[in-house]
Amino acid sequence: MILEYLDVFISGLTNGSVYALMAVGLTLVYGVSKAFNFAYGSFYSLGGYFAWVLMVLVGLWGGYIVVFALAVPFLMGFGFVTEKLIIAPLRKRSDWEVKVMMITLGLALFMDNGFQVLFGPRMKSLPPLMEGAVSLGDIYIANQDIMIFVLSVSGILAFRWVLNNTRIGMAVRAVAQNPAGAKIVGIPKNRIFAATFGISTVMVGVGGILLAQKYFVSPMGGWDILVKSWVITAFGGMGSIRGGLLAAFILGMLEAFVGYWFGLSWVLFALFAVLLTTLAIRPQGLMGKWG
Amino acid sequence: MLKVSHLTKKFGELVAVNDLSFHVAKGQIYGIAGPNGAGKSTIYNLITGNYPFEGEILFDGESIAGMPPHKIAQMGISRTFQVPETFSSLTVEQSVAVGAHFGDTDLFDPQRVDEIITFLELEADRDRMAGELNLLGNKKVMIGAALGTRPKMLLLDEPMAGSNANEIRALMALIRRINVEMGVTIIIIEHFMKVLTELTDKLLIIESGTRIAEGDPDKVTSDPEVIECYLGQAYAEDN
Repeated sequence: MILEYLDVFISGLTNGSVYALMAVGLTLVYGVSKAFNFAYGSFYSLGGYFAWVLMVLVGLWGGYIVVFALAVPFLMGFGFVTEKLIIAPLRKRSDWEVKVMMITLGLALFMDNGFQVLFGPRMKSLPPLMEGAVSLGDIYIANQDIMIFVLSVSGILAFRWVLNNTRIGMAVRAVAQNPAGAKIVGIPKNRIFAATFGISTVMVGVGGILLAQKYFVSPMGGWDILVKSWVITAFGGMGSIRGGLLAAFILGMLEAFVGYWFGLSWVLFALFAVLLTTLAIRPQGLMGKWG
Repeated sequence: MLKVSHLTKKFGELVAVNDLSFHVAKGQIYGIAGPNGAGKSTIYNLITGNYPFEGEILFDGESIAGMPPHKIAQMGISRTFQVPETFSSLTVEQSVAVGAHFGDTDLFDPQRVDEIITFLELEADRDRMAGELNLLGNKKVMIGAALGTRPKMLLLDEPMAGSNANEIRALMALIRRINVEMGVTIIIIEHFMKVLTELTDKLLIIESGTRIAEGDPDKVTSDPEVIECYLGQAYAEDN
């Protein structure tokens, strides 16, 4: 029994780490530009399909190292250009936040149907990052789970380092905290919006590559991720990166244990029950702030 | 240095700034005053590129029409706000550095950040978050971030708002030092007439976006039209 619980715990930890990576991306964009990206789940699928094309369709030499080396600039460029082309022009209009939701919803439908046309409706599988398992006595931990956890946590730590130690990180924090103040000290606000959109696309796309090995890639598979990322973001506190991290691990664990005890069909019910209860008691989420 | 000609800004039917012209010479401290809603802050928003406008604004002979705010900051115009617009989770040092990184087109110079912190007498607070400081501290941090951009001209929007007498004295001394020691031309919007008459070389009074009077502060504040539409008879009798 204890070994089974340990398995579930490891699954929760692995999923939680990837959710954390993806939720940080969603929180980043919301925190900096107040834009809610409904196509976030489709960007997750984009990452998965990008890796599938290279690994399976093309049979690229070099494995996942080359895939990640190509995926990061591709996803960054895709996010940056998407923001510049379809979101930035809306910012000058009234009620732009609602318009951004609508246009990203349209983009999500366009992308998902595009995936279906290009790759067909059937799920695609990716080879594991690493075969085999590590044994600690009677406990076996799949190398794939270890790699997913290590890469996700590394991604979050790298993001944190960039945010705290680089020029662009300083600008991102300044724009997130005070857009008016940021403008007058010479920060090109619109470029920062596009850059954060690009960074968030990298985070969710890399998450898509990591989780595709366990849960496959499918044209509509991103919606589940969008919902979970949104639940994590709201649970952690809109715009709070630390809250998002905490929420991701809590909900990753909750998902694993609810799935184990009651079945997977209860997972979303449990996530929303926890979210609604939390928001009823603490409307700003775990670590969010008013205003 | 700054030449504003026939500046007009309309928001729908509301004319916030109406055919306004003025000129600020290099090295001056230039004051702007007027009743609430007169269009004072709108003038700053136009000079700093937040809205399109009719008319012309020339800075060092170059038109700023159509330039984005960050380009105008890099040209040498920086501003502060009535309510301190600081970066709450950046330290005092980082707040000044952010201005030096992005507003100053020269290579980032950490020594300049140190000099500004010393100039503002914020050495003891350099590693504290801006959000932890009191109102005067926050105002200094906001000025520090603006100075980090190496401005030629600094626009101060009601810098004395909410300050007590001691803080007003400290801020007035600081503004004079920025002007004299750093050679920064200053425009100041303020409601405290005593501050404007003591600090400024030239004073502009506006109402409904239109110029009422401009010139020597003492003469402007004794202008009957200014007394009638802005200062009131009590001010005239007291002074």
